[in-house]
Amino acid sequence: MATVDLTSLDNTIEDGKHRAPLVLGGMNYSDVTDAVAGVWEKKQPAIWWPIFGLSVSLTLLFGALIMHLFFKGVGVWGNNNPTYWAFDIVNFVFWVGIGHAGTLISAILFLFRQHWRTSINRAAEAMTIFAVICAATFPGIHIGRIWVFYWLFPVPTEHLAMWPNFRSPLLWDVFAVGTYATTSLLFWYMGMVPDLATFRDRSKSKIGQFVYGLLSLGWTGSARNWHRYEMAYTILAALATPLVLSVHTVVSFDFAVSQLPGWHTTIFPPYFVAGAIFSGFAMVVTLLVPVRKLYGLENLITIRHLENMNKIIMATGLMVGTAYTIELFIAAYSGVASEQFAFYNRAFGNYWWAYFIMFSCNVFIPQLFWIKWCRTTPWFMVIVSIFVNIGMWFERFVIIMALCRDFIPGSWFYYRPTWVDLSMLLGSFGLFFTLFLLFCRYLPVIAMSEVKNVIPHADHGHGEEHAAHSAASH
Amino acid sequence: MAHSSSKQPKPAGPKSKTIGLLAQFDDPESLVAACERARDAGYQKFDAYSPFPVHGIDPAMGISRTRLPFFVLAIGLTGCLVALAMQYYMNAVDWTKIFPGYAFFISGKPLEISPANIPVTFEVIILSSAFATFFGMWLFNRLPQFANPLHRINRFRRATNDRFFLMVETADAKFDANRTRQQFEEWGATAIENVDLDLTDQEIPKFFKMAGIVGMFLLLVPPVMTFRAYGSTNRAPRLHVVPDMDWQDKYKAQQTSPNIGTDKEPVFLYADDRAMRAPVAGTVARGDLQEDDRYFRGYEPGTLPPPVKPVAAESSPANFVSTGGPNAQDPAPAVQDPATAGQYPGEPKWIDTVPAPFTVSEAAIARGKQRFEIYCSVCHGYDGNGNGLVNRRALALAATGQAQWTTAKSIHDPTVKVQPIGRIFDTISNGRNSMGPYRSQIPVEDRWAIALYVKALQETGIQPPAGAAVPPAAPQQ
Repeated sequence: MATVDLTSLDNTIEDGKHRAPLVLGGMNYSDVTDAVAGVWEKKQPAIWWPIFGLSVSLTLLFGALIMHLFFKGVGVWGNNNPTYWAFDIVNFVFWVGIGHAGTLISAILFLFRQHWRTSINRAAEAMTIFAVICAATFPGIHIGRIWVFYWLFPVPTEHLAMWPNFRSPLLWDVFAVGTYATTSLLFWYMGMVPDLATFRDRSKSKIGQFVYGLLSLGWTGSARNWHRYEMAYTILAALATPLVLSVHTVVSFDFAVSQLPGWHTTIFPPYFVAGAIFSGFAMVVTLLVPVRKLYGLENLITIRHLENMNKIIMATGLMVGTAYTIELFIAAYSGVASEQFAFYNRAFGNYWWAYFIMFSCNVFIPQLFWIKWCRTTPWFMVIVSIFVNIGMWFERFVIIMALCRDFIPGSWFYYRPTWVDLSMLLGSFGLFFTLFLLFCRYLPVIAMSEVKNVIPHADHGHGEEHAAHSAASH
Repeated sequence: MAHSSSKQPKPAGPKSKTIGLLAQFDDPESLVAACERARDAGYQKFDAYSPFPVHGIDPAMGISRTRLPFFVLAIGLTGCLVALAMQYYMNAVDWTKIFPGYAFFISGKPLEISPANIPVTFEVIILSSAFATFFGMWLFNRLPQFANPLHRINRFRRATNDRFFLMVETADAKFDANRTRQQFEEWGATAIENVDLDLTDQEIPKFFKMAGIVGMFLLLVPPVMTFRAYGSTNRAPRLHVVPDMDWQDKYKAQQTSPNIGTDKEPVFLYADDRAMRAPVAGTVARGDLQEDDRYFRGYEPGTLPPPVKPVAAESSPANFVSTGGPNAQDPAPAVQDPATAGQYPGEPKWIDTVPAPFTVSEAAIARGKQRFEIYCSVCHGYDGNGNGLVNRRALALAATGQAQWTTAKSIHDPTVKVQPIGRIFDTISNGRNSMGPYRSQIPVEDRWAIALYVKALQETGIQPPAGAAVPPAAPQQ
C-alpha cells in the first residue's frame, strides 16, 4: 500500500475537486500507530544524545544561576534605576507568548474544525506547557525576597493579615498564568490518555506497562467513554479559547494599565495576542521540522501542515507590523509630547538597533512566505522562524527599554545585561529543550487517535489515488 | 491463593467467571452496523471499543447525551461566586476576628466589587470549569479503573491500535451464550472470545493494606506539626535566610568607624573613631531655625537676662514619682503680688498675648482641650485642679512613705492665674520644678493651643482646692 514515492508527493496544491489529504503515504490505522509509537520504541537518532546533553548542561547552568541569584540578590542582574524591569520580564513575556500557539492549535483550530491540526497539536501543546514552565520561572525568581513567594497567592494566615491586592495587574498575571498552565496541562494530558493506552498495550517492558498503565487510567476506548471524552474535549477547547486570549491580554495589562508613555495604550492587548501567536507558531515550526525529519514523520506532518503554519506566521506578522505602525501614528496624532518622545526614542533612541532587529525580523522577513518555495521548503522556513523568534524577543525588549529614558534626563541610563542575564536566557532555552526532548523520547508526539479519525475510512485507496493525482498535476 | 488461607470466604470456587462475549471487527463501519443490530436485538448492557471515536456510533448504540456540560456550568457559576466573594472579603472586609481581610485603599478605587475584579473572576471561572470538565469526565466514565478483565485479553490490545470490538455482558437479560455468538457471526465479527473475570485474584494483598495504613499515618504528620506550630511562640532565634540583607555592609549613624589598619596599629576612617561626621558647629537643621522668640519661646525678644544659674528643669528628665532628687523641693520665688504679675526675677519678660502665627479660634481651643486631656490631665486633672489619676496615686503612695511627691499644681491657683500666657507656654515647654519638659512631645502650635485652653479654663471660675493644696504649693510658683 505505502508504495508511493514520498519525494513526488505534493499535498500543497489547491484542487477544488478534492480535499487535500492530511496523511500521505496511504497510511492505515496500524501504520499511524507504528509510525508514532516507533518514535518511542525505536532507538533515538544519534543526534538526540548530544542535543540532550547540551540542553541538560544549560538547564543545570540555569539552576546554578538561580541559586546564585537567590544568595546574592537581584543585583547580579543588570537591572538598575530607572530600568527596574529588564531581562526577567522580557523572558517571561517571550516564553508565555511562545506557549500561545499550542493552545491556539489545540483549542481554536479544533473549534473551527481545522482537521490539519491533528498532526501537530500534541507537540504544540507540549511546547505550550514547557514554555509556560520557562515563563513562570522568571517572575518566580525575580521577587527579591524569595522566601515569602507565597504572598503572591491568597494564603489565609491569621498572623500575616495580608492579602493580595486584587486591583493590580501583576496579581492578575499570577491568576492568568496559573490558570493557563493548569488548564493547558489538563487539556494536554486528557488528549494524551488514549495514546498512552496505546503505549500501554504495546509496551514490552514491565516498567513501561506499569507506568503507561497508570497514566492511561485504564482507558479501553469504550464508545460510552469516547462520548463523554469528546464532550469534555470540546468544553475544554471552548474554555481554553477565551483563556488563551485573556492570558496575553493580562500580560499586556502589566504594561498597559501603568501610566507610562509608550505603555499606556489600548492597542496592547490585541497586539500582544497577535504577537504571541506569531512567535508561538514560529517556535512550532522551529521544533517540528527537525522532529519530522529525525523521526521520519513526513507522512503525518506533511508539507501542507507546515505551509498552513507559515501562512499563519505571515498573517500574524502582518498584524504585529500593523500594530507597530499604528502605535507610531497614534503617538504622533496624540499631540502628547511624552508619548511622542517615547516612540521617537523607541525607533531612533539609543536602542534603535533593537527596534531595527524587531521590525526587520517580525515584519519584513516573514513576507518571504508570499513565495511558495519559501513556505514549502523545510530548511528555509526554519531559518525564517528562528528570525521571527529573535524578532519577537526583541519586541518585548524594545517595549521594556522605554524605561531607560524616563521623565528625568538626569537618571537616564543605558541598560546592559550582565553575564547572569544572558546565561539565564540561554539556560531557559536549555530547560525548554530538555523537556521537549524527554517528551519526544517518552510520550506520543502525535495524537494517534485524532489522526486516525481524519484518514479516509474503509477506502484506503482514496488518499493514494488523490496523491497520485496531485503528483501528476505537479 | 484460594486454598492458602483459612480466612478466605470462598475456600473452593470456580477460578474464573465469564462476564461477557467479545466480538472483533476490522473496520469502524462494521462496528457501527453491529451496534445498530445489537441495539435492535434488544441488548442493553453492551459496549463498543475503538481506537478513536467512531462517527455515528452514539445513535447506533442509543447513547444518550451526557450531562457533563450542566455539571461544568454549575461548577463554573460556583467558581464565579467564590471568586467575587474571595476578592470582596480579602480587599474590603477587615472587621472579622478570625482571618480578617484587609481593606486596601489604593488610588482611591472603591473597595467593593469593581471592574478591576473582572480578570481574576474570569480566570477562576475558567479554572474551576476546567477542573470540573476534567475530573467530571473521568468521574462520569468511572475511570481510573486499573483492573479490567478486558486488559487480560491479548487480542484486545489492538483496541487502541487498529481493531474494533463489541462486548455484550452476560448480565444482559437477552444474553444467551450460543445465540449471541451466532448473532456476532452473522454481523461479520472476525473473531469471538469470552471475557473472563479472574476470581482467584480478588483480594488486595496484605502488604498494600499495611502500607496504606502506615502511609495514612505518615500523611498526618505534616498537618499535626503545622497545627502544633500554629499560634505558638518560637523562642529560637530568627532564621536569617539572606544574611547580607539583615546585616548590610554599611555603617549607620552613631556607629564607630571600621578599623582599616591592623590590630596593633589601628587606623580609623576619622580621627574621632566615628563612622559619621558631626555637623559643623552652629549648623541648624532645615526648619529648625526658630528665630522668633515670641512664638517659639514665649517672651519678648531681647529680654532674656544673662544666665545666673542653669535652669533646673533642663538638667534631668522628669521623675514623676521620685524618691527625692535635688530638685524635688526646689527653692522658688515667693508668691507674686498680682500687681507685679509678669515680672519674675531672673526671667525674661513673658508675652501676655498669643504670638503672630498662632490665631485664637474655637478650633484652636478645642484642639488645646484635646491635647490637654492627653498630656496634662493625668496629673492636673480634667478641670485643671490637680486631681489627676497620677497625682492621686502618687499622693497615696507618698502617704505610706513609698514615694515622695509634690502635689500637682492647680491651674486655678491665684499664683498661676496671674501668669502671662508666655510663661504657661514656657512651663509646658521646659517644665518647672518636678514637672518635666514637653517640648519634644508636643509641637509648638499645640503647646500654644494648650496654653490657650489653660487660660480659658482659668476664666471658668473653678475654685482651687481649699486648704490642702495651698500650703504645699506655696514653695512652688
